[in-house]
Amino acid sequence: MAFARILIFVLLTAAGLALAQERASTNRGTELRERASSEARVVTMLPESSPVTVLSRSGGWTQVESGGQRGWVRVFHLRFAATVEEGTRSSGSSFFGGVGSALGFGGAKRNDQAKIATIGIRGLSPEDMRNAGPDPEALRRMQSFRSDKAAAERFAREAKLSAQRVAYEEGR
Amino acid sequence: MKPVVRAVFAAILLAAVPVAAQFDFNRLIEGVKKGAEVAKQSQIATREFTQEEEIELGNGLTAGLLGAVKLHPDERLQRYVNRVGRWVAAQSERADLPWSFGVLDTDTVNAFAMPGGTVVVSHGLLKRLNSESELAGVLGHEIAHVLRKHQLSAIQSTAGTGIFASLGKEVAARQIGRSGRDIGGLGSAAASAGIDLVKDGFLLRPLDRGMEYEADRLGIVLAARAGYDPYGLVGALQVLASLRGDDASTSISLSTHPSAAERIAELERAVPGLLEKYAAQPQVEQRYRQAIGAK
Repeated sequence: MAFARILIFVLLTAAGLALAQERASTNRGTELRERASSEARVVTMLPESSPVTVLSRSGGWTQVESGGQRGWVRVFHLRFAATVEEGTRSSGSSFFGGVGSALGFGGAKRNDQAKIATIGIRGLSPEDMRNAGPDPEALRRMQSFRSDKAAAERFAREAKLSAQRVAYEEGR
Repeated sequence: MKPVVRAVFAAILLAAVPVAAQFDFNRLIEGVKKGAEVAKQSQIATREFTQEEEIELGNGLTAGLLGAVKLHPDERLQRYVNRVGRWVAAQSERADLPWSFGVLDTDTVNAFAMPGGTVVVSHGLLKRLNSESELAGVLGHEIAHVLRKHQLSAIQSTAGTGIFASLGKEVAARQIGRSGRDIGGLGSAAASAGIDLVKDGFLLRPLDRGMEYEADRLGIVLAARAGYDPYGLVGALQVLASLRGDDASTSISLSTHPSAAERIAELERAVPGLLEKYAAQPQVEQRYRQAIGAK
């Protein structure tokens, strides 16, 4: 499995495609381990703020390369930060970034909220929102791709996904 | 008060009192009428959206958004995202909503949920994710917003009680066949309210921080229930945290907060045990790569 993952990675890299190849750094001192397990041999200790290249992720572990050494660190022990300075952002309004936006994207500082929200963006701006008429045809088309429950269950089985009983309380 | 009732009431009062007092009674009746309106307004303010209104509102919002951003032309990808989303939503207490998922034809990065069970994600986001478990985490987060009606709360606090008053009026007008306003099946009052909300920039405004954190936690539970490695959402947030702010393709996504980094820290604090317990569940990388067309 690990070999297959590395192989896929190599193939993708060869094809010029990015596979989670982000730059990151450690957000605390942490062990670089041989495998994705807290039982695995420690390759080396990485001090806080060690730069790493991310290769892949497996459960709670991220495979990284750091200083010529490869290994696994805890997912939460990495910091992923946009490298650009706040002041150099040309724009930054989310076209539907608010309500329901999934992802907190980027490192916009809290007090930048108001400023960013009023700046137009390439591709879509508050003006675009105001000027666009509703497209009921596109809505119907989108709804034509719906899946029913039975098809979704078959789809899950194909990937060996099995439903678990997990209480919401476990998420509190 | 119905006009006929009011007239009868007035007539009785008038018949019973001297002519000199009639002016005051007219004022009194006006006062009663106003009081009734206030009572009706406060009733409106405290009521909730019906499920039908919620769905129609979502349809209006989605149609409005699709007027500004096109659907991605890859039908297989559209169906793939619908299957992942439907499977995750099926693990929830609102499994029977008409869940509908869409991929937007834009390289920008974002995802968005509408009341009533519609979730859209951008193609730019899909390209940057690495596995189906990451997608399931993102969709789980969006589905959680729908389950907890976060958008409806935001709409109520944005539009105030007026939205219910207008829903009441237009539905009443339609019932007596005088509406005449039907935009391709979006003729309901709730749908037009959704369309208007898009024009007003409602979709550009962020949700409350607490709602985002709650949707993260519930999204992780839903992904775990669906059999995925629940670290998928953490992985997706890390991808987002690393996006460069000056990249035109990602600059749109910076206004949401809390930031991805803050949300990752919160998940580490709040649900480490839950994440570990299901960490060995599949990530489903290969099928994901095939679906998004990576070689």
